[in-house]
Amino acid sequence: MKVTAEEVRRVAELAELAVEDADLPALTAQMDRIVEFVAQLQELGSLDAAGVFVAGPAESPLREDEPKPGGLARPPAAIAPEFVDGFFVVPRLGAMEEG
Amino acid sequence: MTTALRDVARDTAARLRAAEPLNATLHWAPELLDAEADRAERLEAGASLRGMPIAVKDNIVTVEQPTTCGSRILTGYTSPYNATVIDRLRAAGALIACKTNLDEFAMGSSTEHSAYGRVKHPLDPARVPGGSSGGSGALVAAGVVPAALGSETGGSVRQPASFCGVVGVKPTYGRVSRYGLVAFGSSLDCISVFGATVDTASRVLRAIAGIDPRDATSVDRPPMEPLRMPESLTGMTIGLPREYFPGDLHPGVKAGCDRAIARLRDLGATLVDVSLPHSRYAVPTYYIIAPAEAAANLARYDGARYGNRQGDGDVRALYRATRGLGFGPEVRRRILIGTYSLSAGYADAYYNRAQAARMRIVQDFHAAFDSGIDLLFTPTAPSPAFKAGEKTDDPVAMYLADIFVCPASLAGIPAMSQPLGRTEGLPVGGQLIAPAFEESRMLATAALLERHLDAAAEVR
Repeated sequence: MKVTAEEVRRVAELAELAVEDADLPALTAQMDRIVEFVAQLQELGSLDAAGVFVAGPAESPLREDEPKPGGLARPPAAIAPEFVDGFFVVPRLGAMEEG
Repeated sequence: MTTALRDVARDTAARLRAAEPLNATLHWAPELLDAEADRAERLEAGASLRGMPIAVKDNIVTVEQPTTCGSRILTGYTSPYNATVIDRLRAAGALIACKTNLDEFAMGSSTEHSAYGRVKHPLDPARVPGGSSGGSGALVAAGVVPAALGSETGGSVRQPASFCGVVGVKPTYGRVSRYGLVAFGSSLDCISVFGATVDTASRVLRAIAGIDPRDATSVDRPPMEPLRMPESLTGMTIGLPREYFPGDLHPGVKAGCDRAIARLRDLGATLVDVSLPHSRYAVPTYYIIAPAEAAANLARYDGARYGNRQGDGDVRALYRATRGLGFGPEVRRRILIGTYSLSAGYADAYYNRAQAARMRIVQDFHAAFDSGIDLLFTPTAPSPAFKAGEKTDDPVAMYLADIFVCPASLAGIPAMSQPLGRTEGLPVGGQLIAPAFEESRMLATAALLERHLDAAAEVR
């Protein structure tokens, strides 16, 4: 299987990552090498019965849904570019539907 | 103010200054060390790590020092809270000595992928210390600190411990709280420990282990016992998985392992041949699962939530510019691979397949331990420390440096590396792997082997 430059460009868009045209050939070659390497998992044949390994405790412990102070060493205004009237001010997130 | 611990702080600062050519530290300050000493001075004399300076990998957050993860995207970031392990080290009397250099976001096997330059091997500056916790490993090896914290996702403490000739211990997944560890691969990440000796590493691990209500993946287990050195290994069965001793294993690594195996036998252990047939798929499995989890975890560095905001115009341009300029080449590659393997049309062939392969790898370990094997012994890395630049052009060659350490990470079980000897002056490491939560058995065996092995000697 060959990874194409077009696929790398599409995946970069999905990942919200700017990729310069000049970097595309080398990146495509490296992606192709990695994908070819991981494709050896196809040798394993059917894995339908294997199940999925879950790391950590078998059940997630739950606690009461009560607000607790975060214990921050600095106030919110000191850890963000802008904090006004109790809100973090971020760039307008309005145009997510296009391209 | 002059106290015994202020002297420790001053001496530590002098050693950190002298070690600067290694490029192993990203942040430290004499006045912060003094403050650490004063804090520890107020604790009772019996605190388990009282006065021990400990270096901390720079993906573990600290209030007093910046946390960069070795990335440009977090330049200038300082956390408003401390990781649980920082609080626990301080409660035990340790001094947080410095923040250490690492592969960007812990992605790498050589500590060449830091935005702040590569870390040099303490014995040969032309070589790498391993990675991704290379700064922590190099500082312990250089005698700057007796212990350091690193993190493991796929062997990032054991492999540099092997390259640097120190002890590196990865606990069971869930043994140590990850609150305040910057997330990379959430089903794999473990805060892990470097020590100059098995005893030192064991003491640090005991101090940081334990359930934490702030980390839902931490596990409620009885506290770890203090290290108790056995008289012998009589009654202990140690498995030698044949897949970890390939024909092309570096001859010096093989010689180190052969000598250690003979010593384990002399000490009374029964050595048996065992097979872990799916371990050979661990690296490809890891390089699907870890990048997939990384792609999700690193989505937060977008210039709005975290990260130095770049670009202007619409929000997507801002995201892409922030991430495109902020992340280095290895992180970009892994985000792209992770996104690729999760994307429509590919998820079944890659991500879902890797999850099933992971289960097979785990089942091999269970079968071995269920058959009466107490521990497994393997080489830690297929070669001693390699030269800087030797593997940077071929990502797969770099990934294969982790071939023997990845499987235990995927299985979430404890494993450690300890020095076995030297080949042409470079350290060789051996790995012990234990069933889940059997760290004490593993550490006790390693301590006895350490006592009966001259790790500074050349092996042939």
